[in-house]
Amino acid sequence: MKRIPQALLLPALLILLVGLGYPVGWQLVTSLQEYGLAQQFGRPAPFVGFANYLELASDPTLWAVVIRSIVFCVVTATLTLVVGMALALLMMAVGRIPRLILQIALLLAWAMPVVAAMTVWIWLFDRRRGVINYLLDLIPGVDMNRFNWLEQPSTFFIVASIIVIWMSVPFVAFSAYAGLTQVSEEVLEAAQLDGASGWQRLKNVILPMIRPVIMIVFLLQLIWDLRVFTQITMLQDAGSKSGAFDLLGTYIYKLGTRAQDFGMASAVSILVLAITIALSWFYVRSLMKEEEA
Amino acid sequence: MTRIRIAKTLWGALAIIIAIAWVFPVYWMVNSSMLPTSTLESFTPTFLPFGGSLDNFAAALADGDFYSALGMSVAVTLITVFFCLLFAFFAAVAISRFRFRGRKSFIIAVLLVQMLPAEGLFIAQYKMMASVGLLNSVIGVSIIYIAAVVPFTIWMLRGFVAGIPADLEEAAMVDGLSRTQAFLRITFPLLAPGLVASGVYAFLQAWNEFTVALVLLPAESAQTLPLWLRGFVQASATRATDWGQVMAASTLVAVPVIIFFLIVQGRLTSGLVSGAVKG
Amino acid sequence: MTRKKTLGLMAVATASALILAGCSTTEPAEAGGTDITLWLMGGDTPDELRDYLATEYADATGGTLTIEEQSWGDAIAKLTTALPDAENTPDVVEIGNTWSPTFTNAGAFSDLSDMYEELGGDKLLDSFVEVGTVDGAHYALPYYFGSRYVFYRKDIWAAAGKEVPETLEEFNATVADLASDTQSGFYIGGEDWRNAISWVFANDGELAVKEGDEWVSTLSDPNTIEGLEQFQALFQNASNAPVTEADSTPWVNINNNESTGAPESATIIAPGWAHWSIGDLAPDPEDDTKTVATWNDDVFGVFPLPGKDGGAAPVFAGGSNIAISAASQNQDAARELLKIIFSEEYQQMLGENGLGPGNTDYVSALGDDQFAQALIDSAVASKLTPAAPGWAAVEGSGLLEEFFGKVAAGGDIEALAAEYDEQITPLLAG
Repeated sequence: MKRIPQALLLPALLILLVGLGYPVGWQLVTSLQEYGLAQQFGRPAPFVGFANYLELASDPTLWAVVIRSIVFCVVTATLTLVVGMALALLMMAVGRIPRLILQIALLLAWAMPVVAAMTVWIWLFDRRRGVINYLLDLIPGVDMNRFNWLEQPSTFFIVASIIVIWMSVPFVAFSAYAGLTQVSEEVLEAAQLDGASGWQRLKNVILPMIRPVIMIVFLLQLIWDLRVFTQITMLQDAGSKSGAFDLLGTYIYKLGTRAQDFGMASAVSILVLAITIALSWFYVRSLMKEEEA
Repeated sequence: MTRIRIAKTLWGALAIIIAIAWVFPVYWMVNSSMLPTSTLESFTPTFLPFGGSLDNFAAALADGDFYSALGMSVAVTLITVFFCLLFAFFAAVAISRFRFRGRKSFIIAVLLVQMLPAEGLFIAQYKMMASVGLLNSVIGVSIIYIAAVVPFTIWMLRGFVAGIPADLEEAAMVDGLSRTQAFLRITFPLLAPGLVASGVYAFLQAWNEFTVALVLLPAESAQTLPLWLRGFVQASATRATDWGQVMAASTLVAVPVIIFFLIVQGRLTSGLVSGAVKG
Repeated sequence: MTRKKTLGLMAVATASALILAGCSTTEPAEAGGTDITLWLMGGDTPDELRDYLATEYADATGGTLTIEEQSWGDAIAKLTTALPDAENTPDVVEIGNTWSPTFTNAGAFSDLSDMYEELGGDKLLDSFVEVGTVDGAHYALPYYFGSRYVFYRKDIWAAAGKEVPETLEEFNATVADLASDTQSGFYIGGEDWRNAISWVFANDGELAVKEGDEWVSTLSDPNTIEGLEQFQALFQNASNAPVTEADSTPWVNINNNESTGAPESATIIAPGWAHWSIGDLAPDPEDDTKTVATWNDDVFGVFPLPGKDGGAAPVFAGGSNIAISAASQNQDAARELLKIIFSEEYQQMLGENGLGPGNTDYVSALGDDQFAQALIDSAVASKLTPAAPGWAAVEGSGLLEEFFGKVAAGGDIEALAAEYDEQITPLLAG
């Protein structure tokens, strides 16, 4: 009886240990080794201590990628949150039919498999046959014929960001909408009677009440957007594989799989984990405080 | 009153415009899947599939690999969803109904585990699965998927479990039900929306996953749908990408998810609603 | 590995023909009924050839040959994980020729020296044999080659009064003249290093050389720089392609575009097999959702890229090698399959399908039309990327795309070359 909670945790713990524990352990060990293709084919892997980490720390390319990834992640996650919140408020403001239409549209977007969605989006942004350039070109005075979105890192990441936002907003919108429906009518009416304007009601009544939802959703978006991988790889396949178009996920993948430096790739992975924890520590702590309460 | 009504109509119109914009890529996929590739190659887009056909679908299905990939995907997804929900449910009960040592560390661990970059893990995952003979097997990938999805599912479910007052169970126990019975008859039905919401998440992750599948399912016969789809996207040296077929294949991969979503749609929203209370 | 190597040398040394003949009569019995797996890269090997291999293998050994197609893009990840794993490795693998040094040096393949003579010996394409050879032992052998040559629009060239150039310099000048805002004179992507290196090679430049025991990146070499300068000028003056475009499907750019009725470019460079996709476009009579291209001699023409002083320029030699996985548990059966692949009949079939056969004796199977001629002419002069152990890592790192892209965009070539030499040299050691 006393051991019930532990027993209940056991299956989840076991699967985490098997599915992630061993690989992460391997990664930790490998990050301290010189481990390339020859080691993969059975040659012994010499331990090099923290040499991989030291090399990384002095590598300007890595830091450029780290900074780029953080900026991309914060901007994309914030925009996702803002758009998602706005759509949730819109769902509250409209009648049943428009709400249902909007919800179904979001569900369809959410349900699109990533590989399928990326294929369509790349097609939409295609330099020559893409609908986006075609439509923009129709606007008088705008010449977007053959504009190559994937040529410059700046527009490349704008496209990447649009796609990631498109994919992630449904989750945020539904969660926020769910939160909003919990804000009781009476509280809102009371606020309205007090003469609070729409904006004041939003800021002073609604947002504080759904703060917990927003917090956790934002944290998850930050974590997910920092590690965005499939989207960037597929965009790189359509555009350029050059380093200026890398985020952390593709950078690690290139180091490991393509350049076959698994020791270094492992070290970067561990570093990314450390960075993520550092960035989100404030968040995790405040979440834990609420947990205590 | 009328001013409010007008405002509501305007907001409604805005909602519909946004809905159309949002669904456009999905529409574009379906539209393109029915058009011949020569039309798609044209510089002027064709917005409606007039004169379209299902030829692309027939071609995408022709080699028969779709069905084995579908079977594989369904198996992996069902196993992942089932065990993920089961394990996460147990864990959620443990952390929301009990106070015990290690509880807090477990919650933090669950949160942190999601921050692992997965791109560097595949060699270790391969070695592990190969050493126990689980390559090309549904079980091997499923284990990795469950481990990847279970943390978030625990996080989601604990909100639901916490939202159900423990008194309800206790009252039932007073009425002579055992703790287990009380749980099954009282708490479990109340949890259904939460399970649906987390199940949808697990479903999407398992259905969509690409990188782990690529490494752990090297045999062609063990392909999942995303791998199958990727085969259409990559042009080979002798053959350019047939976009019509790619779009048809994409549609085929998306359709089961969309059907699944539409079935659980109502419950999903209510699921997210109650889950959101606790966050 | 050393044990195998000595055995191999002995076999070669002692009137190998007799022993090997003896082996090959007994082996089928030993290997009888062994099922093996062959990995082919992409869709380059036509179905007809795959069926042939499966049938012949079944006839020869009684076993089943399973052919699995791997896409080029994901192949390195899968080779890296599967090849060392005895339980799951494919028995025979096709690999991109430029990856051969890397996997060979890592010890991924079995030593084939003892059957080298039997499979073709000196007749096998030299440059491909070289990248699969370590310390004189042969591990990966040429499967097929396909060189790149120039496709041009006779109509556009004639209208501008241009003739087929004799030297690389003439070529550069001609395509620059042909370029306009709406049409490239010569379509080449900025990151398309596999084609761009032809200009480097043509000026006697190298990407990397072995100095003593060390491989060194030589982008800063004066000859390399000269080639890069030509490429930069060519991209700036003759090509409207994006800087970020790499090796893709170039033939779409020389066919008439349906909307404009004109091609994207007057000239392209492409692998020989592209000619199946080039021509006048018309709806496919069998399937009206597709268009077919019918070659038209009045409109289209081919020639090998001319060299600096005439003749053919040393273009990049595309193609594949084939090898037996060292971890395979069916070494004998895998060798049976290699014998089929290097048989006269199969080599002929490769040629008939437009793939340059690994055994140069059968090059005539390519035919004697203009395509075969251009392919053979350019292949004779063609050149491979450096045989450095780390070459696959260099390709995988994306540094070459990056470097050539920056050069094409108009960057300072000497500064860039110095910068990328520094990054590439450490990778070359593997």
